[in-house]
Amino acid sequence: MTTEVDALILRYLQDLEGQLQDLPAGRRRELLDEVGEHITAARADLDPETEAGVRSLLERLGDPADIAAEARDRLGVQARPVRPSTPWLEIATIVLLVIPFLGWVLGAVLVWLSRLWTTRDKLVGTVGGLAWVLGGLGTVMAGRPGSPVGQPGVDVATTGPNPLEVILAVAPFVLPLAAAIYLGLRLRGQAGAPATTR
Amino acid sequence: MVPAKRESLITQMRRGTLEYCVLALLRDQPRYGFDLVRTLGAADGLVTSEGTIYPLLGRLRRDGLVTTTWHESPSGPPRRYYELTAEGRRALALFTTEWDRFTGAVDRLLRQGGSS
Repeated sequence: MTTEVDALILRYLQDLEGQLQDLPAGRRRELLDEVGEHITAARADLDPETEAGVRSLLERLGDPADIAAEARDRLGVQARPVRPSTPWLEIATIVLLVIPFLGWVLGAVLVWLSRLWTTRDKLVGTVGGLAWVLGGLGTVMAGRPGSPVGQPGVDVATTGPNPLEVILAVAPFVLPLAAAIYLGLRLRGQAGAPATTR
Repeated sequence: MVPAKRESLITQMRRGTLEYCVLALLRDQPRYGFDLVRTLGAADGLVTSEGTIYPLLGRLRRDGLVTTTWHESPSGPPRRYYELTAEGRRALALFTTEWDRFTGAVDRLLRQGGSS
């Protein structure tokens, strides 16, 4: 009989200890001691001690999850699911987007694995990472023989580079950088808020 | 009124006042946890789960409003008693004054609807 009651109480205290994991160790110990003392005093008050009596005293004490929620609230500890973890995947994606060629390609793929960025953010990352494809295609098209249909007599070489060609040549390097900065800013905006999906 | 609404209303009211009820219970004598909790529990609607008082006591101790001392018990192991500090006494006195003023104003509005 006594052992059964002891097991009930032990299970209750273990459950409470589990629920209090994110409290500082000192606070957790103190709270467990106080609840333990409460149970000891409440048991001494039961005359005679019955299993039903002990069950009811634990019930009056309340659900360990409620006590833990109150402890987090009163003692200023943030609930665990809300605490943001370091977004390693997102950081790796941003770093890759700054590394030419292989980094760009990997970044454009990795960005889709993130759960912090929205679809629009991911599209921006992809465009940035794959800008060299567009740039390459554009350069090929612009450089195709016959395309400079300038006025007769004007030597193409002396007019300097075509502005479109400059843009096409620079874009593959600038766009990934811009995308990386944009994604970084979006990530900072997300950091405080809990992720929409757990 | 919807039960859920009534519940949340009571929770809201309890939120800010419970700690002063604890301080008030300690005004005249130190009490050990079980005694304190059972006395509070006897007041209608103040405490739903007794165990939630202990985080509150931890908070009051951290804020220096309450201290604990150990006393022999007539039966069983020594007990941890909670007692008011001077600062706890001041906090309780301040709350009591403000509470009288506040409840007085609310009472008047509830009864007359501010028509006079």
